[in-house]
Amino acid sequence: MPVTGDNTPSKVSHTEHHITSIKTLSIVFGGLVFLTLLTVGTSRLDLGVMNVPVALLIAITKALLVVVIFMALRWDNKINAAIFAVGVLFVIVFISFILLDTMYRGDLSNTTKGTIMEMEAAEEALRAGERDLPPTEPPEPPGHEE
Amino acid sequence: MAHEHSNHPAHLHHHFVSSEQQFDAAKMGMWLFLVTEILLFSGLFVAYTVYRVWHPEVFAQSAELLSWRMGGLNTIVLLASSFTVALGIHFAQKDNKKALVINLVLTFLLALTFLVVKYFEYSSKFEHGIFPGANFAPHGISHGVDYAAYNVPFAAQFFSIYFVMTGIHGFHVLVGMGLFTWITIRAIRGDFSSEYYTPVEICGLYWHLVDIIWIFLFPLLYLI
Repeated sequence: MPVTGDNTPSKVSHTEHHITSIKTLSIVFGGLVFLTLLTVGTSRLDLGVMNVPVALLIAITKALLVVVIFMALRWDNKINAAIFAVGVLFVIVFISFILLDTMYRGDLSNTTKGTIMEMEAAEEALRAGERDLPPTEPPEPPGHEE
Repeated sequence: MAHEHSNHPAHLHHHFVSSEQQFDAAKMGMWLFLVTEILLFSGLFVAYTVYRVWHPEVFAQSAELLSWRMGGLNTIVLLASSFTVALGIHFAQKDNKKALVINLVLTFLLALTFLVVKYFEYSSKFEHGIFPGANFAPHGISHGVDYAAYNVPFAAQFFSIYFVMTGIHGFHVLVGMGLFTWITIRAIRGDFSSEYYTPVEICGLYWHLVDIIWIFLFPLLYLI
């Protein structure tokens, strides 16, 4: 297969689309395979709290390689990069604001104490306790006469 | 840039000034669609994140039941298919019809390989009662793994998320196979050249996004 130099469009006359060279594509593919092996390797090690950040960092690097080179955002109209960036921004807002709720639910002083899990456990304990009590007479439904 | 009206190419629609404008419009439309796809999957990633933050130990334990070898193999398969799509576009731009067709067929075959591996993965889970939702009831022993030991609270949520995320991703792979069948036929027919290869480019963008989703699914579900 012919290997052409980088950044050399074969035809400048009609279209000026960037043609990514086979060499560049092969190097990126090699890099992606290497990063896959790396993420499998690091997952075998116990990195403690760093397990998730390391795996995510490798995944983000791989995704960027695909977006920038394979999807050719690097040479593309900047509007497409902007569209993509806004999409990613929305995902970050989506995940971080949900986590603000689910991780810190109950931490604000004017709401219930404890996390949602603890509240559920407390409720469960309450229900278990009720079961041991003697049954109380249920109130008569209003408007129902014999 | 060509601005002739008398002698415009067959692929150019009336409402575009030039092939260049038509190409850019199609591509921008595809990027907008890809953003909606990213947002679709981000909802699922949020579900994953919330449950993982609440029950990290259950997620770490449940992930042991997924085969990282199968997942890793599928990662390499999808990366290779992204590579062949990128090569396909390269050859379309170089007017090399034969190499374009070869790379499109290779992409289709790699997508098929991915789904076959996924089929074996799913059936090995179903065999041991690992189903999404209320039917989750792991049982049996294979390769020294006692599946019943994994029946802990919230393990069902992990596997529901696993099946929904990989299921929707697998559906995208299936759609991709349909798209590549279509553009392979068109490529053989000689529809594409360096002047006009928009469908190849657009399907390529779609396929790379499917690859990117898997790049995140693999470590999050199988490894950590």
